[in-house]
Amino acid sequence: MTEEKKDKMPEIVGFACSFCSFKASEMAGSLRMKYPEGVKLIQVPCSSRVDPAFVIKAIFEGADGVFVAGCHPGDCHFIKGNYYTRRKIAALKEMFNAFSIKNKIRLFWVSASEARRFVDKVSKMYEEIKEAKL
Amino acid sequence: MKGKRVDKRLIEEALQKFLENEQHLVLGFETAENRVKHRLFKKNLQDYSLFNPYFSVNGAIYLRRLFSKGTKIILMLRPCEIRAYGELTKLSQIERESIIGVSIDCFGAVSLKNDVQNIPTEIDALKGYFDGTDSMRWPCTVCRERRGVVGDAGIRVDTKGSLLVFPYTERGEEFLSLFDDGYEANGAEMLIKTKDKVESFQSDMETFSKDISKCIMCMNCRDMCPVCYCIDCVFNGNDYLPKGDALLNKVFRSGSTMLPQGRELFHFIRIYHVSQTCVGCGACEEACPQGVPLTKYFKGISERLQDMFSYMAGRSFDESIPYLTFIEEELKDAED
Repeated sequence: MTEEKKDKMPEIVGFACSFCSFKASEMAGSLRMKYPEGVKLIQVPCSSRVDPAFVIKAIFEGADGVFVAGCHPGDCHFIKGNYYTRRKIAALKEMFNAFSIKNKIRLFWVSASEARRFVDKVSKMYEEIKEAKL
Repeated sequence: MKGKRVDKRLIEEALQKFLENEQHLVLGFETAENRVKHRLFKKNLQDYSLFNPYFSVNGAIYLRRLFSKGTKIILMLRPCEIRAYGELTKLSQIERESIIGVSIDCFGAVSLKNDVQNIPTEIDALKGYFDGTDSMRWPCTVCRERRGVVGDAGIRVDTKGSLLVFPYTERGEEFLSLFDDGYEANGAEMLIKTKDKVESFQSDMETFSKDISKCIMCMNCRDMCPVCYCIDCVFNGNDYLPKGDALLNKVFRSGSTMLPQGRELFHFIRIYHVSQTCVGCGACEEACPQGVPLTKYFKGISERLQDMFSYMAGRSFDESIPYLTFIEEELKDAED
């Protein structure tokens, strides 16, 4: 890939819960499903481990988009972790909205068996951010 | 609600009576050097002032990590300070056990940055002082809660200019028991009223970057913020704001960087971290040596985020901070 072309490719950082979303990404790998190379996953023990400060840091250090992915509400391995995530990330989105940079952040619920859903969501986000960047 | 009609002399006598006990303290205001300052009174109540038309720091900052047992303290502070104190009790930074928080109606304040002196502290002169002038500091002009309706008890001013004390909790009753009997029904109209709701804050990154371009990362805003309470802040150390060798490593790894680096990062993370507890007092802006308009962002964003959960920092001591609790059936549209 040439340097010029590489510059236009968005970089996305994803925080994935190790019990659901990260498992889904592994499953997507074993099923040979493709999702964009620009997506870098970071495994976290639970989506509520993600302090919104991590998200903000990722964005100001050069990521074009950040997503936080966790289990569906009610399915958390730690019983209620993702309810807290939902509040925290919803508030963070509202804050980004106030600064007119809402496009940079996403929240996904993906369970361990939903490899297809994970790939779809991530690819859609990648395309949207790529379009906004061009 | 029933309260007691008092005046300045009665309040001073009551506090003096309270201070006779060796273990009792009063945190309030004193008149000194043509200004009004915070003072922790012990034993005698000299130069006591009920109102404080100057804003230097938010008094709740002195109460952080206060877990004293056996010492009783009465706080005679502004509503914004009592609200910050309430938020700190929710974050278990203050043991509420032996503290009585009394909020006093606030007429607004001037910034210590404009060298104003000799502002009257008596109600009659003070209540009209800010009319038709623009000397009031900006955070006070947009303050949402200047009424003394928070805390354990409140001291209100009615339209005739006389003072009333109202209890809001059991501890407030204890404070009222310092005064002689004479409960009367609250029929009087109050001088300080509620503010109308303003439209929600909207900005963009360009304006924000321009506004904070003067920031020198001294972190005074963080240190003077009453609700920014972490002992070990994420900005201490090299992880978020590398210095020295760590900074060089970062530059070699990811390219050249503007200095001081991480201004947006710092303010963004701080805005988020205090978003649910920010009382909009403007202590950050007061502490800023560069005159960055921080309150505009902190207050605007925090009001927007608190409205999401119908919460208002410090309004009630029993409401939980939204990030520390949840409802199962809510925010259905949070997912993308």
